[in-house]
Amino acid sequence: MAFAAGLLFVGLYCLLTMKNVIKLFIGIEVISKGVTLALLATGFVKKNTLLAQSLVITFIVVEVSLVATALAIIINIYKHTKSLDIRKLTKLRG
Amino acid sequence: MIFLFIGLPLLAAAVLPLVGKISKKFLPDLISNAVFLFLLIVAATSGRQMISHGPVLKQLNWFGEPINIHVAVDGFSLFMLMAISLVTLCVGLFSINYMDHYGAKANYYALLLMMMVGMNGLVLVTDLFGVYLFLEVAAIASYALVAYGLEHDELEASFKYLMLSVIASAAILLSIAVIFGITGSLGFAAVAEGLKSLDDKFVVGFCAALFIMGFGLKAALVPFHAWLPDAHPSAPAPISAILSGLLIKVSGVYALVRIFFTVFGLTPALSQVLMYLGAVSIVVAAFLALGQKDMKRMLAYSSISQVGYVVLGIGIGTPLGIAGGLFHLFNHALAKALLFLNSGSIQQSTGTRNLDEMGGLAKRMPLTAATNLVGSLSISGVPPLSGFWSKLIIIIALVQSNEWFLAVVAVLASVLTLWYYLLIQRKAFFGKLNERWKDVKEAPFWMSASTIILALLSIGIGLFFSIVIKSWIQPASDVLAKGIQLVLGSRGF
Amino acid sequence: MIWQILLLSGLVLFSVLAILSKDLIKSAISLAVASLLLGIIFFRMSAPYAGVFEISVVAGLITVLFMLTIALTKAEGDVRESRVVKLAFPLFFVIFILIDVLVMKSLLQKIPALPETVEKGTFGDVLWKQRTFDLVGQLAVILAGVFSVLALFRKRDKDE
Repeated sequence: MAFAAGLLFVGLYCLLTMKNVIKLFIGIEVISKGVTLALLATGFVKKNTLLAQSLVITFIVVEVSLVATALAIIINIYKHTKSLDIRKLTKLRG
Repeated sequence: MIFLFIGLPLLAAAVLPLVGKISKKFLPDLISNAVFLFLLIVAATSGRQMISHGPVLKQLNWFGEPINIHVAVDGFSLFMLMAISLVTLCVGLFSINYMDHYGAKANYYALLLMMMVGMNGLVLVTDLFGVYLFLEVAAIASYALVAYGLEHDELEASFKYLMLSVIASAAILLSIAVIFGITGSLGFAAVAEGLKSLDDKFVVGFCAALFIMGFGLKAALVPFHAWLPDAHPSAPAPISAILSGLLIKVSGVYALVRIFFTVFGLTPALSQVLMYLGAVSIVVAAFLALGQKDMKRMLAYSSISQVGYVVLGIGIGTPLGIAGGLFHLFNHALAKALLFLNSGSIQQSTGTRNLDEMGGLAKRMPLTAATNLVGSLSISGVPPLSGFWSKLIIIIALVQSNEWFLAVVAVLASVLTLWYYLLIQRKAFFGKLNERWKDVKEAPFWMSASTIILALLSIGIGLFFSIVIKSWIQPASDVLAKGIQLVLGSRGF
Repeated sequence: MIWQILLLSGLVLFSVLAILSKDLIKSAISLAVASLLLGIIFFRMSAPYAGVFEISVVAGLITVLFMLTIALTKAEGDVRESRVVKLAFPLFFVIFILIDVLVMKSLLQKIPALPETVEKGTFGDVLWKQRTFDLVGQLAVILAGVFSVLALFRKRDKDE
């Protein structure tokens, strides 16, 4: 479980500091891994691996949908700003 | 029968792309709005009979064999279903005209239907993981809908929204995992049983904190509100309406309340936390709303503020407080949807959202001005509109629980709310007619129709509020109050 | 047990690599390797289905999607990441791990658990019979994703 937490930390750190939009997304992926690990770990501890597995699988399906949508947005952002720098996306303020 | 709420929009959404190939605008409009209308009628009529004998748990049958799909309806769920169907219908009607210049209407309606699937599903499931799953369904649909116009602003807002929302979802799922670990089960009833017999404050507190963080982010409570002022204004107007009016409440407040009340139980510590979170949201957002020039941004901050009222009301924990909070949820859904739809009308006619550029539109767009006035007054709590009663109930409940400080805060914030709404009204509608808008036309038929429906409802509910409370709000708050009694008393939080 | 710790460390290591490396393609590959390791960990935790799914979907499908995006967004001039950030990372990480280990040690003694229920049935049973509703949800999620991508990639009409 500690490792799951470690993974989550890494992912969060990435989200907070990285400037490349795609790197941000990798951060999200890392967080997802952490959560997947946590899910399965709790199932393992309870010897209830089957239920945990179906949860994990459902979650992975959700993750795929999320990735697809997010990457679609990223590609569109690239079409607009021709760059992947999040610092360019600061038009909205206040 | 209940499963229709999830199954029907799902089916319609799946079919729409094919339909869209045949008829670009007419058929998608018709089908989607027919679905919304149908579900509204079902919720309004047969729903009441179903729950009159207590909560209903239905198991589906597939050609005679029971499959393991459980949906549960009780007073609280039914109340939310009503609200969801109502607002979605009006948004759907509005979209008939508004989304013409965005293109790909069939796809838009498909996404809107999917969002409805997500919200309805969230309201009807019986286990924790189901809540998470349908939350994600609605969320994914909303990411695409916010970015629908594919302009720079919209994409930026959608991306930031996505980032924060994913963190929230991760927190929620993590909490669910831990609860699964310590109780070995996911269904609401089973987890409630399990948590009652355990006695570990730290872990349960940890889960509770994660839930508050996750759902608070979804509901845009301060300090988790950062995404909302960017996302809601940039989205197309009907989407802003459904996001502000429904999504933050269903996926944020409803889920939070459901999980806490029927699983954790409302302990005094939790009650305090919720109340203060609510109060902070009310005040901070109200102040932030004052300095805005963009009409929709002001409305967005107002949403944060009003959701604060709802959380405050529910956090009090007394039946009156809960009733007030829920009533305000409903009223705000109607009124905020109305206001956002109006902003869409203005945006379509004048092309701007900047309040300083508008002026005197009432002469050219009387219907919009009138409905906007109704919505503004309702949210600010002016009698006899519906918002007044819900705020009054919340304030009375606060006073009854000896929370004088919070009651004063609520009243003062209400005055502030009134002020900035009148500011909108004055700048946009009254005053001298700005030269640029000489030839502006009133909003097209469906757009006006949907806003008129919402305005009439606000007035009607305000006038007949006691009937509304007895028939809709009371069952919902009863469910929650019972939940508190059932689960409370097992832990010394 | 030692294998498990090695695998887990590898997982974290590759995730860190994925985040810190300058080249996007290396990042994507690190992520894929991390997924692979995670899949193996799942196998060893007697969760074969999850392992298979994880490897085929995350290490496979998502990596492909990433590569596609990277290919479509070749920016002129790469984004400069600050050096300080990269150097500061190990420090924070170590501090975090220390705090984490301390907390976990004290926590693990205290986590209560209800007695485990015996698991009946096979995986197929669980997925299809117990969690049927999840399947509806999965369908909904997939549809939502499909529609989102369709919406975001649509051709703009001439009058937009």
